[in-house]
Amino acid sequence: MERMTNTLARIAIVLALFALWEVLSRMGIVNPRLLPSASDTLATLCDLLRRASVRNDLLVTATEVLAAFALAVPVGALIGFLVAENRYFADVTKPLLFFAFSIPKSIFLPMFILVFGVGFSQKVGFGFFSTIFIVIMSTTTAVESIKVEYLTVARSYGATAIQTAWRVYLPSMLPVLLEALRISMIFNLTGVILAEMYASRDGIGHQIATWGENFQMKQLLAGVVMIAVIAIAFNEMIRWVETRCSHWRT
Amino acid sequence: MQPLANVTPLRSPPRAGAIQINDVGQVYKARGQDVLALSQVSLDIKPGRFVVLVGPSGCGKSTLLMMLAGLRQPTSGTILINGTPITQPDPDRVGVVFQEASLFPWLTAEDNVEFPLALRGVSKAERRARAEEALKLVGLEGFGKRHPQELSGGMKQRVSIARGLVQDPPVLLMDEPFAALDEQTRMTMGDELLRIWAATGKTVVFVTHSLTEAVYLADEVVVMSARPGRIVDQLQIPLPRPRTYEMLSGDAFSSLRDRIWRHIRKSA
Repeated sequence: MERMTNTLARIAIVLALFALWEVLSRMGIVNPRLLPSASDTLATLCDLLRRASVRNDLLVTATEVLAAFALAVPVGALIGFLVAENRYFADVTKPLLFFAFSIPKSIFLPMFILVFGVGFSQKVGFGFFSTIFIVIMSTTTAVESIKVEYLTVARSYGATAIQTAWRVYLPSMLPVLLEALRISMIFNLTGVILAEMYASRDGIGHQIATWGENFQMKQLLAGVVMIAVIAIAFNEMIRWVETRCSHWRT
Repeated sequence: MQPLANVTPLRSPPRAGAIQINDVGQVYKARGQDVLALSQVSLDIKPGRFVVLVGPSGCGKSTLLMMLAGLRQPTSGTILINGTPITQPDPDRVGVVFQEASLFPWLTAEDNVEFPLALRGVSKAERRARAEEALKLVGLEGFGKRHPQELSGGMKQRVSIARGLVQDPPVLLMDEPFAALDEQTRMTMGDELLRIWAATGKTVVFVTHSLTEAVYLADEVVVMSARPGRIVDQLQIPLPRPRTYEMLSGDAFSSLRDRIWRHIRKSA
């Protein structure tokens, strides 16, 4: 019951924001050229989604995002795992990882363009670079979240290395790993779209930048809504899996 | 995997649980120096006995228990269980009950109890049947579907005991299993453990800090001294069984507890 009223309240807030947006624009309180109304924006969004060029841009971006994600997650997880499992390696490299993590990744973007040129590999490369550090650090946290007691129990009942990995490591790490996956995607999406906005020939990030430069506010806002919906949808999907796998976490 | 179906469940062959600890020493390195954790420990435990290890912190009683479990190797000397050396964990011979919070929170109570069987590839149907039986033995019939976080501290340790017993090993090792429980639950669990012990005929080696608990449960209390850990006394507890709450205030009980306390105060 409480969950339902909360959901209703949330929907009400979102609707109220859209209504406020509509009113501000329609009444001319904010210059409609700077802020086209919500209804105009949504109409433009539908129109854009029907265009083959926009659909192609979305496909390009999606491919880049997925490629970067598919590279960064396993590679980062492997490095994170090795770092956490080897005490000496962890002691040596952990501060360095923290250094690397603290640097804003965007300052390296010009270098990616110089090395890879403008194109697919530059954007995937930058997306990978933006994501891998958070994956490494989250995996390290996930490995460290495994209690020694659990490993002792497995050992005392004669578990093999594979059984320990499968029956203790994996279920124990799963909640933290899923959370890491979710947060990694936020970094990944930001990286790829930033790379597209900075220098690109296609992709939805490139389109958004172009609409902005040409003062096409309706298209610009429609693009913003589009990316927001996609990002939220992915995030919620993982969160749904997360709650199903982490019921035991307190 | 040998067939388990025809074995009378939870009742080991009567002579299987003999433990011989012969002149065991344990040395570990700390800051480049050799530290003697255990020295010349010898102990002969007959099958079906309830033996409690007590001693000040750092006397190596938990280390000794971990060696009996095959989780650590003695630096010198030998440990025989059922006549053969224990060089690695052997769940056929030894079940271990750990301190609190050793259950896997992502598994239900029955899945936790089944865990040792699942590792050995026992079929699902047999696993379930044996887990149910073990849970029934520890008084948790009908709680199999709960997760550990839905159980009280005492119930969690009952699940741990069921997990230790599910493969029907002749020896049950218990490392301060009730240390985190409140006083009342601890007393109840002590009685429960004695009931389970009487019903199964296991050899139990039990580590505790509580002298009252030691005297109340044991056939024999082994007192150890600190650094290096060695056995300073072995007391037979002649109190009749079943043990009752009234015995706690009797003179026999107090004098046994006082004798252990004098040893520990001297060596701590």
